[in-house]
Amino acid sequence: MRKMLLAVALIGSSFGAQANAPGGPGCGWGNMVFEGKSGLPVHLVATIVNGTSYNKTFGITSGTNGCDTSVPLAYQGKNMLAQQGVLEEVAQDMAVGDGEALTALTVSMGIQPRDRGHFKQTMHENFNTIFSEEDVTADEVMTNIRNVMESDEKLATYS
Amino acid sequence: MKGIFTLLALLVAGSAVAAQASESGLADHPRWKALLHINQGTTWRYQGRSYVDDPDFFLHEDGATEPQAELEANIEQLRPPESEARCRFPARYRFLSQQLDWTDDGGLSHCADYVEWRKAMPQARVALIFPASYLNSPSSMFGHTLLRLDRGNDEDGVWLSRAINFGATVGGEENSILYIYKGLVGGYPGYFSNVPYMNKIRDYAHLENRDMWEYQLNLNESEREWLVAHLWELQDIRFDYLFLDENCSFRLLELIALTRPESDLMDSFRIAEIPVNTVRALDESGFIESSKYRPSKAKELDALIQRLSEVEKDLALGLSQEERVSETEAFQALAPKRRHLVARTAYAYLRLNNREGERTQDVAARSLALLRLVNRTPSVKEIEPERPVSPKKGHGTKMIAATGGTMGESGFGEFQARLSYHDWLDAPAGFLKGATIEAFNLQVRKAESDDLALERLDVVNVRSLAPRNQFRKPVSWFVNVGLDRRFIGNKRHLTRQVQGGGGLSWALGPVMPYAYATGRAENNSAHDPFVSTAAGAKTGILWYAGAFQAGLDAEGLYYQNDDVSFTASATLNLPLGSDHAIRASIEREGGRERAETEFSLSWRYYFD
Repeated sequence: MRKMLLAVALIGSSFGAQANAPGGPGCGWGNMVFEGKSGLPVHLVATIVNGTSYNKTFGITSGTNGCDTSVPLAYQGKNMLAQQGVLEEVAQDMAVGDGEALTALTVSMGIQPRDRGHFKQTMHENFNTIFSEEDVTADEVMTNIRNVMESDEKLATYS
Repeated sequence: MKGIFTLLALLVAGSAVAAQASESGLADHPRWKALLHINQGTTWRYQGRSYVDDPDFFLHEDGATEPQAELEANIEQLRPPESEARCRFPARYRFLSQQLDWTDDGGLSHCADYVEWRKAMPQARVALIFPASYLNSPSSMFGHTLLRLDRGNDEDGVWLSRAINFGATVGGEENSILYIYKGLVGGYPGYFSNVPYMNKIRDYAHLENRDMWEYQLNLNESEREWLVAHLWELQDIRFDYLFLDENCSFRLLELIALTRPESDLMDSFRIAEIPVNTVRALDESGFIESSKYRPSKAKELDALIQRLSEVEKDLALGLSQEERVSETEAFQALAPKRRHLVARTAYAYLRLNNREGERTQDVAARSLALLRLVNRTPSVKEIEPERPVSPKKGHGTKMIAATGGTMGESGFGEFQARLSYHDWLDAPAGFLKGATIEAFNLQVRKAESDDLALERLDVVNVRSLAPRNQFRKPVSWFVNVGLDRRFIGNKRHLTRQVQGGGGLSWALGPVMPYAYATGRAENNSAHDPFVSTAAGAKTGILWYAGAFQAGLDAEGLYYQNDDVSFTASATLNLPLGSDHAIRASIEREGGRERAETEFSLSWRYYFD
């Protein structure tokens, strides 16, 4: 009987895993580009026990430190960049010239669809200015983006 | 005659008490039942009552068990304009105001919190997300499902979408045995969460290297409104989380059924909700409009590697270590677009290897240097990995098989039943290649000379082949817990066993060779010690030939008490459509005193 129970348990634990907690284990850890995934042991525990050991999240609690940013419309570019792991994706997309993370940035900054191609191209051309060093933070990246936009005729209207 | 009389009586009575009649009928309305999460016979537990125990979810103290009482309490409390209860239950209010024709009563305009939240929640589209199997975590082997609410259309992408997830919430102080036990009997609370979808992309596709499938649902505006309004009602509401049936996938199925209560989604009994079956159920009920494949970072790297020559691969490896390689003649000799590809590969490789652990300055500096190199070489389009067969098109997750064969001089017939889910010789379309994920695999055999007997029971049987190449060096492994038979002395004994091992594998086109070092602990009636331990090795080849799958396997084990056992086998699996397969196998197995050869032929039927 005990064997059976364990068996059931083992199967059961395989369904519906929620490998990561709302808010994320790396919550508040920082927002530099090329970060690693921190808090791995915690992540593993959450994965193995098929759940989350964190507070539930749902409503309109706000946060901009890479934790749960639950205000859905309040990304405004900067908040989006502060999400853990996002800066790295944006950096890669800017280097290449396109990508989903860069598209999301244009949307969250309110860039009109007709100007998005131009925005992406401008970011691509100014990659070295925007990602000036490997320790650059989300705040600095946002400032650099704004500066680049201001010196561009079309994009200046957005900043 | 009696029937007509009854009908007449009903008609007369009906018109007299029209108001009450419509209200009393409402408690049986499919949408009301869906709003209260009433189990209409879909799972074992709590049939005929609400799945929810949380008193915050009900306005009547017996609301969980009496939908009629709950309905009356709701009508009473939601009816007055500016009612506070409306702000807690906007979907119930929507239902009642539509059904009972409440007009000009101010609606939900006084519910400032809800109105703000509602405005902020995206709802242009709804998608069901299926992160595929993740073998390296026992809790994710069968995949997972969540919902995604999109802000806009394809043009806007999905990084700003929201993810709706149902999961268990665990106190940090409890150990995993207690967790599993409580998970089965219902001791853990499950809550819905609402987080940015980009976090989920990061967790699954970037950190755990799981491919994701995104199934866009064809819900119309009104149906989406039911969903989002009801999500608000579920905020902080406690469900029980049960692993087998009332899990992440089942709760999502319920949510989607709310949008179309007339659909047949919840009609069939669901014994264990495997996430991919949720996808299939939605597909069969006509909810899925389109599907999109989101490859993991590892798959993206593999796709890049495939485009490189051997020289370019070496350059990419070198470049990932030292950016100066970009100044060498060999690199400069490449065409500009090839340089771009090599730099992309080097960057992808460096990031994949450093996605975990603390950030180091050196890796960060190299990463940026490589991105600059990518940035100053001309971009190459269309380097996305090839889209594999969607998991919803794979073979059924349950299987039964009938087998006939001979072992030595004796013929036998065998019956097999497998609750879930896939072994590495089953048709690979829609599943991970080189992976076995079996739970509750039972084989009973009747041999000419013996009574009906248990031949094998796999409680869990997981094998993972992770191919190695110049860039990626993963470890393959397997774990098997259950009962099997082997020759001890002159007789085949039933053993209760646990075995596992680690090893290496490679992919040479459609052929996957592998080798494992193995360890085994078993209990059998022929050995004196309660537990016998053994060590050994296992090696073989899988061949995915398109029309069929074939495997060669050889294994030897040496026991602490000087006993030995070995098996060598050749197996051919021929799928016939997605629901059937013929499997033929030759196996030689034996121990110190005796060995026999077994021939067998099976018909396998996959369903559900």
